[in-house]
Amino acid sequence: MAGTSLWRFVIKRSLQGIGVVWGVITVVFALRFVTPGSPINAVAPLDATQETRQAIAAELGLDQPLYVQYGQYLFDLIRGDMGYSYIKGQAVTTMVFSKLPATVELAVAATVVALVLSIPLGVLSATRRNQPVDYGATLFSLFGISTPNFWLGIMMILVLAVQLNIFNTSGRGVSSVDVAMSLVGPAPFFGTLVGWLSYVTLPAIALGTYFTALITRLTRSGMLEELGKSYVRATRAKGAPETLVRYKHALRNTLIPVITVLGLQLGTLIGGAVITEAVFSWPGLGTLIIQSINLRDWPALQGSLIVIGVGFVLVNIVVDTIYGYLDPRVVYN
Amino acid sequence: MISPRVLRNLKKEFRSSHLAKLGLVLVVAVLLVAAFAPLVAPHNPTAQNLDQSKLPPVGFAQTSTETTSKMVNGSIQTVENTTVIEPDLAHPLGTDGLGRDMLSRVIYGARTSLMVGVLGTLLAVLIGVPVGLVAGYYGGSVDDALMRVADISLAFPSLVLAIALIGLWGRATYSIPDPFVVAGLTPAMPEASTLPVTVVVVVGLVNWVWFARVARGEALSLRSEEYVKAARALGASDGRIIWRHVLPNAVTPIIVLGTVQIAAIILLESSLSFLGFSGTTLSWGFDISQGRDYVSSGQWWIATMPGLAIMLSVIGINLLGDWLRDALDPDIEGEGGA
Repeated sequence: MAGTSLWRFVIKRSLQGIGVVWGVITVVFALRFVTPGSPINAVAPLDATQETRQAIAAELGLDQPLYVQYGQYLFDLIRGDMGYSYIKGQAVTTMVFSKLPATVELAVAATVVALVLSIPLGVLSATRRNQPVDYGATLFSLFGISTPNFWLGIMMILVLAVQLNIFNTSGRGVSSVDVAMSLVGPAPFFGTLVGWLSYVTLPAIALGTYFTALITRLTRSGMLEELGKSYVRATRAKGAPETLVRYKHALRNTLIPVITVLGLQLGTLIGGAVITEAVFSWPGLGTLIIQSINLRDWPALQGSLIVIGVGFVLVNIVVDTIYGYLDPRVVYN
Repeated sequence: MISPRVLRNLKKEFRSSHLAKLGLVLVVAVLLVAAFAPLVAPHNPTAQNLDQSKLPPVGFAQTSTETTSKMVNGSIQTVENTTVIEPDLAHPLGTDGLGRDMLSRVIYGARTSLMVGVLGTLLAVLIGVPVGLVAGYYGGSVDDALMRVADISLAFPSLVLAIALIGLWGRATYSIPDPFVVAGLTPAMPEASTLPVTVVVVVGLVNWVWFARVARGEALSLRSEEYVKAARALGASDGRIIWRHVLPNAVTPIIVLGTVQIAAIILLESSLSFLGFSGTTLSWGFDISQGRDYVSSGQWWIATMPGLAIMLSVIGINLLGDWLRDALDPDIEGEGGA
């Protein structure tokens, strides 16, 4: 792949991404207007006079014509200003970005759990087809894609935390940042790591199981397909060791569709994180979203949705670019 | 549309696959239980009976130990009171915190899950398939525009968009008259056949994009087929070509995706009702959220039973989906997400 064509691709994909982000912002802005009831109701006291309501509308800019509000909204967003929470009065940008790291940590931990377990399991399953390992993996992935993650979380709390008392079931007492800091700071590294694991393990498994199952299935079927292709036979025929055939050639080609699906399923991952956070009282974006919906705090909800949408677009640009490194046949145009 | 060859494949795959048979048994069982809920359920699922609350399932007697201290002759004596709560055969899966029969709740919960799963998927098909067919058939700027809309829709996680929309629109429900009640066979029960309308609309709106992608892919590859060109040369209108020639050939992958989507939407519905965004309290997800409060006090079955029901139904549907895909083997891009 030529370097210039890669750059041209990244630029083109980013421009497309900006279009999608603009669409995301517009949809989020429009959400407020498909709602019965004015946002003023969320702020004004129930017995507010007409004058008070008008004053509030003026303060929130809701008395302006729609296109002025929209223009102002876009302009503010470009400056990183997502407005102020109706309920807490705090800047939404501050609120969202203080909650985001917890959700990213949970999502990354779940993805790590999923990748570490699923790819070896899928490969084993495909290379030992119709053997006990294969049946076990197939059964596991069937359960994994069919079990609601919040229920799995509750069942793990029931067995591992309530009965055996070995994990923390609520909150995020120690963060991954604490673990990193303990490497250089005075806190004992091992103790901090164990503390972090005691919080993150159960939510990460609850959220990661569906993806472990999904990727195991994809890896298994992809490997079976690749191993049946003629290039594999040719490589074997010229005397290449079986490990090389399997891991350098077949697995590499299998991972290409797996990566696309991972990018597309990012939405499922974030959606799953929202509910996992609710089960384990994990203080992330999901908790913020549910709170803002229940309190009708539109700016906080809009800010969270925009950050998630932009994150989705960014990750998918990265995924599409990685695609080309793994698959030299991809021509960026 | 469904050719004899396809039917032969379906039969052949079915005969050789135990998993497909298991899937069919599970799905038929859930369908029957949901359809005949008033006849199958031993109790009214919403009737509370505080004297009989927290009864364990049959085979799982609960022992609870209470320590009480009292003064006897000037010294404190600690008395350990061990009480055994025996299961009641009238409540095979036990009762919840308000004494409602778990088995009956699980049976009626199947109605909510299946109604939302099937109707939500139908709505997603009705939106997604036309959009995808038009985009793929015309290509060019129509395709670009519709696919950008799909990209925007994909950028919002289904669950997040769904709770946002339900939060904004409220939780509307519609009471479906129960045929058994209308016929006077069973007494009317409040909430026993409540369709959470907003949930159906919302899950359809957040999942159409998967159908649009598949339909577009099919239309894109079919539009340059000889017979489509021939139809066009004969002067058939675009609408007629799409309806008569493109759609029938796109049906197979849409059916396979539809099966997967019913399972995904049942999981989505359970998440929504777990978070309290459903509008009906007779739902598996809602019962799990109730049961969660009893996990630390030992009443494990309240959260466990409805979850097992979700798992078995979704396993059944997924097995049928695998069977259809193996037999029909269409190219489905990705897997429809929950």
